[in-house]
Amino acid sequence: MPESKLVDNLDLDNYKYGFVDSESHVYRTKPGLDESIVRDISRQKEEPDWMLQFRLKAFKIYESKPMPTWGGDLSDLEATLDEIYFYVKPQEQTERSWEDVPDKIKNTFERLGIPEAEQKSLAGVGAQYESEMVYHSLKEEWASKGVIFDSIEDGLKNHPELFKEHFGTVIPIADNKFSALNAAVWSGGSFVYIPKGVHLDTPLQAYFRVNQEKMGQFERTLIIVEEGAHATYVEGCTAPVYSTDSFHSGVIEIVVKKDARFRYTTIQNWSNNMYNLVTQRAVVQENATMEWLDGNLGSKLTMKYPSCYLMGKGAHGSIMSIAYAGPGQHQDTGGKVVHAAENTTSSIISKSISKEDGRSTYRGLCKVHEGAKGSRSNVECDALLINDTSRTDTYPYIEVDEKQANVGHEATVSKVGDEQLFYLKNRGLSEEEAMGLVVRGFLEPIAKELPLEYAVELNRLIEMEMEGSVG
Amino acid sequence: MADNSTYHSWLNEKRSHAWSVYQSTPTPTTKSEEWRYTDLAKLFPLEQITLEMGLVDSTQRPNREDLIEATNTAGRIQLTDGLVTNIQVDPAVDSQGVGLDSIQNTTHEKYQEIIRTNLCSHVLPPESGKFQALNAALWKDGVVIYVPKNVHVKMPIRGKHTLSTGNSAVCARTLIIAEEGSHVSYVEEFHSDDFSNKSMVSSSVEVVAHRNASVDFVSVQNLGRGIFFQVAQKSLVHRDACVNTLNVNLGSSLSRLDLNTRLLEPGANSKMLGLYFGDKDQHFDHNTSQDHLAPHTRSDLLYKGALDGNSRAAFRGIIRVHSGAQQSDAYQTNRTLLLSEQARADSLPNLEIEADDVKCSHGSTVGQLDPETIFYLLSRGFSRQQAERLIVLGFLGDVMTKLPHGAFRRVVKNVTDAVEQKLRHG
Repeated sequence: MPESKLVDNLDLDNYKYGFVDSESHVYRTKPGLDESIVRDISRQKEEPDWMLQFRLKAFKIYESKPMPTWGGDLSDLEATLDEIYFYVKPQEQTERSWEDVPDKIKNTFERLGIPEAEQKSLAGVGAQYESEMVYHSLKEEWASKGVIFDSIEDGLKNHPELFKEHFGTVIPIADNKFSALNAAVWSGGSFVYIPKGVHLDTPLQAYFRVNQEKMGQFERTLIIVEEGAHATYVEGCTAPVYSTDSFHSGVIEIVVKKDARFRYTTIQNWSNNMYNLVTQRAVVQENATMEWLDGNLGSKLTMKYPSCYLMGKGAHGSIMSIAYAGPGQHQDTGGKVVHAAENTTSSIISKSISKEDGRSTYRGLCKVHEGAKGSRSNVECDALLINDTSRTDTYPYIEVDEKQANVGHEATVSKVGDEQLFYLKNRGLSEEEAMGLVVRGFLEPIAKELPLEYAVELNRLIEMEMEGSVG
Repeated sequence: MADNSTYHSWLNEKRSHAWSVYQSTPTPTTKSEEWRYTDLAKLFPLEQITLEMGLVDSTQRPNREDLIEATNTAGRIQLTDGLVTNIQVDPAVDSQGVGLDSIQNTTHEKYQEIIRTNLCSHVLPPESGKFQALNAALWKDGVVIYVPKNVHVKMPIRGKHTLSTGNSAVCARTLIIAEEGSHVSYVEEFHSDDFSNKSMVSSSVEVVAHRNASVDFVSVQNLGRGIFFQVAQKSLVHRDACVNTLNVNLGSSLSRLDLNTRLLEPGANSKMLGLYFGDKDQHFDHNTSQDHLAPHTRSDLLYKGALDGNSRAAFRGIIRVHSGAQQSDAYQTNRTLLLSEQARADSLPNLEIEADDVKCSHGSTVGQLDPETIFYLLSRGFSRQQAERLIVLGFLGDVMTKLPHGAFRRVVKNVTDAVEQKLRHG
C-alpha cells in the first residue's frame, strides 16, 4: 500500500537534539538515593533548616508509597532509580549574564537557540543544565515593575516569606510518589512572581537540558500571579540519547489570584530514553483564568496531567494538549479539572497521534463538587492512528456531585482517510503534501495557540519529514 | 434415573470448585479500578448475610404445561427464590425443538449436554470475579434456553423472578444457546417486596450466538429496597451473529452489573442498551465492556439514566478494539440527568484501541433538565411537574425506541409505568 510507505515518513522522532557534551560538573552525589543524599543536596544549597526537614519528611513519604501500577509501564524504573545521579551541580552559581556561563554549557544552549530567542521575543529566560539553573535573567523593564523571575534556590534565599507562604501548598508532598520524590530531592526550576496588575506582554521562558548520562532532574517551579496580573511562561526540554534511561520528575505549582490570567506552555522534547513523570497544578481563584498548553513529543514514557483547581467563583481552566507517540513511546497524558466553586468553567482539548508501536493515552478527570452550581465543563479527545500497530486509549473520569452543572465528554479515534488523501491528490497535491496537510489540519486547533516559534517548529518538523518520501 | 444422578453430581462438583474460587478471591474494594465508585464494605458488607455452600439435591421437576392463548409469548418460566417452579411453552415452538427448561432439573439429555459444554466454563467461569464465583457456587437453579439451527422464535420468551423472603442470597443462572441461523428473544423481570433485612439477588447470564444467529436479551429489575442486585452478563458473538441487550434498573438498594460482550468473528454485532432511574438512597453501578476481537465487528452502547433524591450512579465502560480488529465500529454513550441537589453521577467511558482502521467514539454527559425546554413547555400550558415528567420520559424513552417494535411493547409499557410511578413519588 503506498500509504503505509508514506506514513513511515511522517517522522517526528528523528531527534535533532541528541548531541552530547563531555561531562562537566563541579559536584555530584553518588548514584542512587538514600537519606544522606537528601541531606547532602540541602547542605550544598545552604538551605534553612525548615527546608531540610521538609525534604526529610518527603523522603520518608516517598519511600512509604508504592510504585503506581496504573498508567505507563514503570516495572524497570525501580532499577533505573538505583543507578541514576540525583544531583549534579554543573557550576558554582546561577549567572545573570550570558557571558559568564561556562563555554561548554553556553555552546549547548546556543546550539539549542536559547540566547537568540531571548533577545528576540522574551521577557526573561532561565536555563537549567543538569540539576541547577545555570542562567537566569529578566529584562530590566519588568524587574523594575516588581516582577521576580529567579531560580527557585534564589527565590528561597531572597524572598523567604513569599516562598514559604506558597511552597508545597498547591501540590502537597504526599500527593503522589513522584511529587514526594521531587519534594525530597528538588533542585533547579523557577521562582516567578507577577505583582498585582502587571501585564507581561512577552513570555518568560525556561529551558531544561539534561546532559549527563543516567541523570535524574527534579526541577521545582513556583509561580505566583497576583490579582489582575497577566503572564505567559514557556518551558522546553531536551536531552542527549543514551542507551540507559534517565529520569525527569518536576513539580510545578501555580497560584493564579483573583482576575489574573496565566498561561503555562510546555514543549517537551526529551530523548526517547527519558522517563518523564511530572506533577503540574494550578489553584485558580475568583474570575481568574489558567491555561495549560502541553505538547508532548519526546520521552520514553510521559505521565503528566496538568490540573486546574477552580477554587473561586467564575474561575476558568483550560487544558490543550498535543501528544505524539512514535516508536517505543508511551504518552500517558491528559488533564484534571476540579470545580470547587460556583460558575466555574473548564475545557480540555486533547489531540494525539500514534505511529508504529507508539501508544498515546488520554487520562483525565473532571470533578464537580457539590455546591459548584452553574459549572460547565467540556472535554474533547481526538486520536489519530497511523499504523495498524499503533495504540490509543481514553480514560476520562467524570464525577459530578452537583445538579446544576453540565459536563460533557467526547472522543473520536480515526486514521488518515484514503478519501481525504484521494481528494487532495485530485487537487494536485503530492501524497506527502496531502498527508502533511491532513496531519497539520488535525493539530491545527492547538498548534495555532503555540508561541509562533514553536508552531513554526512543529509544522516544520512535520513538513520536513514529508519531503523525500517519494521513491 | 441413573443418568440424572451423574448429571447432578457433575453440577455439584462445579459448585464445589466455584466455592473454593470464591473463598480464595478477595472481596473487591474501592482500591480496585472496577469498584472505584462502589464501596461494598459500606453499602453491603457481605458478612451480614449467610453465605454457605450447600450441595443441591433438588430433583423436583417444575410444573410444565402447554401455553394456551399465546398471542405475544412463546413461553413462560417462573422462578421463586431462584427455583424454577412453572414452565409454559407454546406447543408450536416446542415442536420445533426449542428448549426452555430448568438447569438443575432438566431430564432432557440434549440440554444436559448443552449445559455440560457451556455452563460456568468458557463463557463465564467462576474465575471471572468474586461474585461470578459466588453465583457459580450457590446457584440452585436457573433457566436454559436452547434454539436449534435455523429456528426463529418470533415472540419473546418471558422469565419472572420473585422473592418470598429477605435475609438470604438468591443466586440464579441463565444460559442461552442460539444455534446457527436461529433467533430468540428473552425478557426477564425481577420483582419483590421491600425487605428490612438485607438480601442479595445474584444473576449470572451466559449467552452464545453461533454463526448468523440473533439473540435479544431484556432484563427489567424492579426489586424492593434492602436488596443488593448483582449481575454478571457475558455474550459470545460469532460470525455474522448479533446479541442485543437491554438492562433496566429501577429497584433494589444497590445494584451492580458487569456486562461483557465479546465479538469473536467478522460480522459480529451487538447493541447494548441500558436505562436506570434512581431515587432515595439507591446506588447503581454499571461496568460494561465491548471487546472487538475480529475485523468488521460492530458494537453500539447507549446507557441513559435519571437520578433523584440521594441516589447515585456510576458508569464505567470500556471499548477494547484488539490488535487486528480492523474496520470495526464501536460506539459508547452514557448520559445522566441529575434531578436533585443530592444526586451524584460518575462516568468513566474508556477506549483502548489497538487497530488503526476503525471508527470509534464515545461520549458522556451529566447534566440537569434544560431550563429552556422547561420554559417552552410551561409557556405551552404544562405545569412544571408535567413538563419535567415529559422531559424525563422523553430522555429515557430514547433508549426504549431502539428496541425492535412489537415484540417488546409490553416491556416498554411496564418500564414507562414504573418510571412514571417513581417520578410521581420523587
